[in-house]
Amino acid sequence: MPEYMSEYKVWFGKIYEKDSEFEVRKCDDLVQSFEESKSEKLGKLPFSLKEVGIRVFKSEEDYYFSLRRTAIQVAEKEVEKELKGSERYLISLLKALDEIDLGINLFSEKIRDLEEIKIDENTENFRRIVRDLKKLRRDIEDEINSQIAKLMPNMSEIVGGIIAARLIEKAGSLKKLSSLPASTIQILGAEKSLFKAMSRMKKGKKAKTPKHGIIFQHPFIRTLPKSLRGKMARFLASKLAIAARIDYYSGELKEELFESVKRKYEELRETSKTSKTSKAKSRK
Amino acid sequence: MDVEILKQITHNVFLVKYENREFLVTKSRFKPHYGERKFSDFREWIPYRSKLAAMILNGYTIDFRPEIKMLYLGAASGTTVSHLSDIVERGYIYAVEYSARPFKKFLELALERRNIIPLLKDASKPEEYAGIVEKVDFIYQDIAQKNQNEIFAKNAEFFLKNGGEGLIMVKARSIDSVAEPSGVFNRVLSELEENFSILKHGKLDPFHRDHIFVHVKF
Repeated sequence: MPEYMSEYKVWFGKIYEKDSEFEVRKCDDLVQSFEESKSEKLGKLPFSLKEVGIRVFKSEEDYYFSLRRTAIQVAEKEVEKELKGSERYLISLLKALDEIDLGINLFSEKIRDLEEIKIDENTENFRRIVRDLKKLRRDIEDEINSQIAKLMPNMSEIVGGIIAARLIEKAGSLKKLSSLPASTIQILGAEKSLFKAMSRMKKGKKAKTPKHGIIFQHPFIRTLPKSLRGKMARFLASKLAIAARIDYYSGELKEELFESVKRKYEELRETSKTSKTSKAKSRK
Repeated sequence: MDVEILKQITHNVFLVKYENREFLVTKSRFKPHYGERKFSDFREWIPYRSKLAAMILNGYTIDFRPEIKMLYLGAASGTTVSHLSDIVERGYIYAVEYSARPFKKFLELALERRNIIPLLKDASKPEEYAGIVEKVDFIYQDIAQKNQNEIFAKNAEFFLKNGGEGLIMVKARSIDSVAEPSGVFNRVLSELEENFSILKHGKLDPFHRDHIFVHVKF
């Protein structure tokens, strides 16, 4: 076996370089070599991929024919894999995130208790662990955000990764979420108070149904005065229902959705300001 | 029911008149892909869906030769690629897309067109497809990412021939959502000028708000 200076993994096999001479070894299983070429950190190739390829495949036509066929086979496989596993992955990430939050809170509390009595090596170590946990939490959050952006660009644009992931978790899957009506999305996560209100109503008592569930965590709702939150929640939920459907059936980003949500929010902000000032005036 | 050709814009791209309305179309023997209309041999090219069509309707045309090799970053479900595939009939388009869901739809297109090579890859990591994509004449980028300039430069470094050209669609809001669009565009242009010479840039209004196209040469 002669020694080679370097080795390049390309889609149709391996190319070995020695003293500026290139030797090609074609792989029998093109799908496999195509998939493997991605894992290799290649720099810029010192040769023309196409020229070498045409030498291997004998003609330009055959080169492109094989390339295209292999690319499609690999892409079909990868799409299948991505779409199948990604939602379960997301939900387990989200669960992990919640557990870590619990842990951080619990530990922070214990550290405070301990430090009130004595600060020593142990509390130092304890603090370090909490710091590490916080870093882990950030990393997981980033991962959720990037996964969500890939899986459902529109939802992620409107409510951000974490809320979108929670909605998916609650609904069960993106498919199920996309078939929910906006009014259900609006109170997803507030089932308990909804059914409480409904059972009161049945008995003929007065009751209020909840205005918002998970989507309350969104700053556009949280930052509005109470009287306007219902309005905003209704609007946001209706846009989310549209977004979930686009995400499930087409997957393309539609910018108008988020812009309309933002406009509505600004509108409501304005009315809340003017109504405040007018109230203040009437009080005077 | 007849289509009247008003003007040929470039290879296989026409402005036609049909039922007293003007349409931008590409000549195509394939069926519609994204809900566009088809008049005899022509496929309607909707400027609200494709930024390239918006650019052409705003009066700027790039003369794609039908035999070029092209790298397309951000193929999504293939709206624009389907028309480019009509134009570069005898060439090849390497189409990169990161997200699996629109890619499923895109694969339908790739299956019927012999000049599209689909790649489910992250455009910000060209080293992952350096063993697949050859040197190309043209890079088209429409990815709405914060660092899209950097991604374009990296891909050009890897794959663009000397003297090759590129077209970048820049969305102000995805680079900086609060800053004034004109400021963002100026920053993008000066960043691009470090590596490329800018042939032309312009707005995509009224079809896509706060977007510009930048045509560069390497």
